[in-house]
Amino acid sequence: MSEEVAVDVDAISKRFGDIKALDGVSLRVRRGEIYGLLGPNGAGKTTLIRSIVGLLAPDSGTVTVLGQKLPNLDVLRKVGYMTQQAALYPGLSVEENVRFFAAINGVESGVKEALDFVDLYARRGSVVATVSGGMRQRCSLACALVHRPQLLLLDEPTVGVDPQLRVQFWERFRRMAAEGITIIVSSHVMDEAERCQRLGLIQYGRLLAEGSPADVRAQAGTQNLEEAFLRLAGEKES
Amino acid sequence: MSAHRIAAITRRLLQGFRRDRRTLALLFVAPPVILGLLGYMLRNSSVPAVGVANEDSGPLGAVVASALSTSSKISTTAISASDGDARLKDGSIVAYIVFPPDFSQSAQGGVIAPQVHVEGSQPNAAAQALQALQSALGSAASNRPGAVRVQPSITYLYGGPNLDTLDYFGAAAIGLIVFFLVFVVTIVSFLNERSQGTLERLMASPLRRGEIVIGYMIGFTVLALVQSVEVLLFALYVLNVHNQGNVLLIFGIEALMAITAVNLGIFLSMFARTEFQAVQFIPLVIVPQFLLSGILFPVRSEPTWLQYVSNVLPLTYAVNALRDVMLKGADLSWSSLQLDVAVVAAFVIAFVIAGTATLRRRVA
Repeated sequence: MSEEVAVDVDAISKRFGDIKALDGVSLRVRRGEIYGLLGPNGAGKTTLIRSIVGLLAPDSGTVTVLGQKLPNLDVLRKVGYMTQQAALYPGLSVEENVRFFAAINGVESGVKEALDFVDLYARRGSVVATVSGGMRQRCSLACALVHRPQLLLLDEPTVGVDPQLRVQFWERFRRMAAEGITIIVSSHVMDEAERCQRLGLIQYGRLLAEGSPADVRAQAGTQNLEEAFLRLAGEKES
Repeated sequence: MSAHRIAAITRRLLQGFRRDRRTLALLFVAPPVILGLLGYMLRNSSVPAVGVANEDSGPLGAVVASALSTSSKISTTAISASDGDARLKDGSIVAYIVFPPDFSQSAQGGVIAPQVHVEGSQPNAAAQALQALQSALGSAASNRPGAVRVQPSITYLYGGPNLDTLDYFGAAAIGLIVFFLVFVVTIVSFLNERSQGTLERLMASPLRRGEIVIGYMIGFTVLALVQSVEVLLFALYVLNVHNQGNVLLIFGIEALMAITAVNLGIFLSMFARTEFQAVQFIPLVIVPQFLLSGILFPVRSEPTWLQYVSNVLPLTYAVNALRDVMLKGADLSWSSLQLDVAVVAAFVIAFVIAGTATLRRRVA
């Protein structure tokens, strides 16, 4: 694995009114790494991801993506973002959706490859409003990676996805990482966390622990991540 | 700015409408239905029914009654005075006129005293009955031997004696319909972009805010222009709304209104979170413009402080421009039309800037 840093988050904080969504979070993600953001709902995962794609300006701290300090519009060309809900145009076909996201990223080709990647090429003509939730998630993933980004941010990509498809997704994430694509994925499902190379545990907008799944378990002195998470979260609270 | 990215937004928008039959129906079926109804109501509405009871023992009552029966403002039926109140109550007439037994006699003494009984809850209908009576009395008086004849000679600067209510409202209505429907469709679809999460995706792409707004504007403008052509052809060739001006100029003004509506819709969608909230803008934005833009009542007849409000509404200028062209045959050499068109164009630019500015994003 290359040691090149793909994402460098340096001490960012973000407040929404009285709520501290992020409280001095720092983390570095290396190129070609699958980095998991783990934490309960409302922990700050989405806020962190939105800060990395430039949708939110942190109140303090800096975010550097692929060597470019944000805000920077050009670097977004190399970033793919899959939102929590499958954000697609329901009136368009699967292929039209993917083609649209290719076009706004300035790419003409790659639509077939993206559809093949998520096994939707045969269903490319189906209107999104008429397809199943799992197919929508797959289409959404195809939209996020059609322009062959170097960094892929996936906000809970497997919510509402059946176990079989979840396994397929992770298979694909691993293949992409092997090609040097950096993936940051948020989740609150512990068995998904096991599949990440490195994990950041987030609660109340703070990074509780960081490391490989094995490291995190060792830090907490537990057998599984779920217990580790509960223990680490409990320690910080007390 | 990238033309490719703008084109991608526009193409996406039009692709979406291709399958959205309901919205297409709103855009292209609703206008002829609304205009058709308006035309039918204004041109084929019946006149108020008025009862006439002639009990005059002399000749004058019959003369006035016959003049009344030829009036275009009312339709008359002969009744007996004792039935009058019952017929007012059952709604079959809105007023009845009684020429009492001494009608001719007292007229000779200089007092013309018909009795008018009015139902009273429909002021317009009553006023029409009274007008008809006045002119019937006038014509009866001027037909008397030796009477002074009143024969004003009338010349028309614009329009003519055949101009009717539909001509007056139709000119404004073609603009209003385009403005209203385009506004509603724009505000709701732009809001969909937000609520279905795709706007967030667009914001996390290399798209610039201006590219999103302009892409949308072009897409909706294409639809709005098609609608404008439809509305214009329907008004001119099906409803035969009076037109003295250049058809292309009318189309140009309509198009400008449509673009105003698109950009106003994009701008205001930033202040709504749900479709329900977006629809709430209709009474706030559309209804006041409908009342104050001179469509129903001339702006100059409003109280002074309301005129100030009317004068900052884009629809006021657009309606004025449409009427000037269609009813007066104005062209672009008229300074009043230049002003109207320039003001509407300025609103377009202001709303584009406002829409872009409110599309918040850190990275830009």
